[in-house]
Amino acid sequence: MVKYLLLNFFRSKVHPIGLLLLLVSGLISIEIGSRFLDRTVRVSEKTAIHQQESIARNVSYFNKGMGDLMYYLRFGLENETPRLAGLSIGQRDVYPTVQSLTVRNLEEQRYATDLVNPLFQLLGNMDFSFVLIYLFPLVIIAFGFNLISEEKEGGTWSLIRSQTVSPLTFLKIKMGIRLGSVLSVLLVLLVIGKFYLAIPLDLPFLVFGLVSVLYVLFWFALTWLVVSFQMNSSQNAQVLLSLWVLLNLLLPAGINVLQRWLFPVPEALSTVIQNREGYHSQWDKDKEPTLEKFYVKYPEYRDFVHPKEADFSWLWYYAMQQAGDEEAATEVQALKRKLGERLQLAKSLSWFVPTVHAQLSLNALSLSDLGNYLHYLTALEEFHEKLKAYFFPKIFGNAPVLEENWTGFTLEKFQDKAHFQWVQLLAPFGLSILLVWVWARFNFRKSGIYSDQKHAS
Amino acid sequence: MSRAGKIAILARQVWNNTVSQSSAKVLILAANSLLITFLFVGFLNQQKHQEQIHGFGQEVREQWENSPDKHPHRMAHYGYLVFREKFPLAFFDYGMDSYLGNVIFLEAHKQNTVNFSEANLSNGLLRFGELSAGMILQVLIPLLIFFWGFDLISRDREQGTLKILFAQGVSGFELIWGRVLGLFLVTLSLIAIPFVLGFGLLFFQQETDLLGQSLVHFLLLGMSYLIYFLILCLVAVWISSRSQSSKSSLISLIGLWLTFTLIVPKVAQVIGQSVYPSLSKIEFDTAVEAELIRQGDSHNPNDPHYAALKDSLLKAHGVDSTYKLPFNYSGYVMREGERLSTQTFLNHQKNLIEQYKNQQSILGVASWIDPYLAIKQLSMGFSGTDYAMYLGFQDQAESYRYQLAQTMNELQIDLISNRVKNSSDPAARLSSEYWEEFPDFHPTFLSGQEVLENNRFGLVVMILWLLMMVVTVSYSSYRIRVF
Repeated sequence: MVKYLLLNFFRSKVHPIGLLLLLVSGLISIEIGSRFLDRTVRVSEKTAIHQQESIARNVSYFNKGMGDLMYYLRFGLENETPRLAGLSIGQRDVYPTVQSLTVRNLEEQRYATDLVNPLFQLLGNMDFSFVLIYLFPLVIIAFGFNLISEEKEGGTWSLIRSQTVSPLTFLKIKMGIRLGSVLSVLLVLLVIGKFYLAIPLDLPFLVFGLVSVLYVLFWFALTWLVVSFQMNSSQNAQVLLSLWVLLNLLLPAGINVLQRWLFPVPEALSTVIQNREGYHSQWDKDKEPTLEKFYVKYPEYRDFVHPKEADFSWLWYYAMQQAGDEEAATEVQALKRKLGERLQLAKSLSWFVPTVHAQLSLNALSLSDLGNYLHYLTALEEFHEKLKAYFFPKIFGNAPVLEENWTGFTLEKFQDKAHFQWVQLLAPFGLSILLVWVWARFNFRKSGIYSDQKHAS
Repeated sequence: MSRAGKIAILARQVWNNTVSQSSAKVLILAANSLLITFLFVGFLNQQKHQEQIHGFGQEVREQWENSPDKHPHRMAHYGYLVFREKFPLAFFDYGMDSYLGNVIFLEAHKQNTVNFSEANLSNGLLRFGELSAGMILQVLIPLLIFFWGFDLISRDREQGTLKILFAQGVSGFELIWGRVLGLFLVTLSLIAIPFVLGFGLLFFQQETDLLGQSLVHFLLLGMSYLIYFLILCLVAVWISSRSQSSKSSLISLIGLWLTFTLIVPKVAQVIGQSVYPSLSKIEFDTAVEAELIRQGDSHNPNDPHYAALKDSLLKAHGVDSTYKLPFNYSGYVMREGERLSTQTFLNHQKNLIEQYKNQQSILGVASWIDPYLAIKQLSMGFSGTDYAMYLGFQDQAESYRYQLAQTMNELQIDLISNRVKNSSDPAARLSSEYWEEFPDFHPTFLSGQEVLENNRFGLVVMILWLLMMVVTVSYSSYRIRVF
């Protein structure tokens, strides 16, 4: 019978077309991922070259004083893009890959954005996670919505009920073939993606694959539940598509609205004001308090002093810059905290919305989510502190510019790590699949199909 | 009975049949509440945004005016913070708004990016789309139209009532138009109240000077959406009249909906990106910098452009040192530097924007085969959340920046002595009255006429879609199969 059902599966036009649609769009998405990765590699290479050239040029112009020179020199920190991000681009097209910083105040520099066509951001990338989250369910729905009703409407249902094999076993085999075919396409795509994008075979990739499989299983379970109500084909199609709209459009967008309402971030704009004021107002103030604040923050520089009666010194200048960052510090903390809260809210609510859970998990595994960006913001702080710790003594002590090995300052990389908890990752899928499965079983039992199983040989 | 009379009866029949189902009642109620809720959510969000940035804008202005006496170049670096305002109709359709930055720091020498877009502050969820009245109207209402319209003729055929209808003297033309108008009537029940409410909300906007323009935009929006829904009703009934069964009609319509809202936009985007690749920030900056160095680098002490400038100035004034010039030399150099760098930047930016527009033009072409893309672009356009409106802001902010930098340079040229060592020299301070004289930033939106011009293409596409469907449906109404 399995053989017969398999033949039947491939004889229908819908199934090969559906599988082909998934395969082709999956391949396109992998190509898009590859172009995205190429772009980030290109950006990284160009930034590295530009950094070297620009350091060399500035050193040739301003080699009389370290303070002068360091006003101009910029050092890049790249938020390294894992190859896996080619499968799930997430927020990576919204956040820049590299940020280049001077030792002046950090706040003015670290939020600069990349140049991207906003219309494309609006339409979103057709990456693999999009194909998985949006298109796979549609094909699953198309394969499964008339699982029973096509037999009923075609007049073959009574025939099946009178066969030796129980109708439920028959349905299970039928569904199993569909599941097997969709999963095969998924696996083929993951394998192609792995090699085409040169993704290392590590834990994040394997978990990525596992999440994808569980997501597909969830949609099969949901379809199984809907057909268990044994409505007609049109009703099934309408109900399933409505569920798709609910899970893929309404609920995620609703959560997004909720995030905005619960955690508004006026801090994003007010930090900019505070930072600018914190720095520039120092020019018109007595120099001592500014310097004293700087010494409190960095006691190691107490030995360097501002020359009495002088209008200007680099020590005072960088102390003023530092004041800008200090002024904005509380607002920045609030900003980061609220972004973290937004992320946490979405994570908690995603227990009930498998589509959102899938998207957030895939983005988190491929380090293309808000969480990674927050880590990167912190890494930029540390990078900036490191630059200051190295250059401040040289600036204040007026170290000779040409004795420094400038070619040693290459583009640095920040490597984030995917953090995940197994329970948090898998339980939402496990629970929803279980719930839906049990419910379907109850429906089949009620309708009498289930009880036929005891006759099965 | 007249033709119009028969059509009216058939339309009423669709209305009665649909509305008598309890599921339809629930859906009508749900659609209305969803639309009304998100009109209000969008409206309140927008009010909050406007209030916030007006507050910030005022703070920035006060700080600017209250700046103490100082060297003008310090003010040029202090610069200005400018916040992006939303057009009064932005709450109707968020469009690109969430992907566009909200604040820009304007300072001398440097064009900063517009930072802190909503997308910057969001996690991946934004990618599922944003709930606004526009999104509900563009994506969800069409699905309901297809759900209610898929069996409007095919069911009659399946149940054999089509034969009876024809035997009673109803023509194919009357049948199909009766059903289309009936379906359109049901659609109106989803949107009529929210539209009136949305219109009313406009009167509560704070920007009263834009009321006239936004009312006109809103009427244009309403008209565009009505055309869009009529097109979809025609498509639904037409497919139903040509399908073997209700089931296959439903499948075709669902397929069409997915193609329109999901497949075509994505494919158009992929094509746009591959045919017209655009520069990343680092590539853009490197290109601007390279050209500037070629033209003249004011930082380079041996730069030929500035050396020549210096020589000609010295010669013209018959002096041997820049200290003896009758005006501030470094201010003069900075003015020249600002002029050159801004010109170069703008040239490169023009090319970049040109490329973005090329990319976007692919979507314009795609709207010939996809009415969803046509309405999406029209809706953004009239809501003031499209790229054109943003560019208006960006241009005004940049020219304000240029004006600020050059005004400060002029002050330096005219009023600061050449003997001043650096900008923290107390002898080099100008009175704060000069700051007050520099006007605040008051950006304007594109005028109604400009918006209409930008969206003329979209309107033409919509109207042609409508005409095409009217002709197709009317033509094929004479050959409806009875069995």
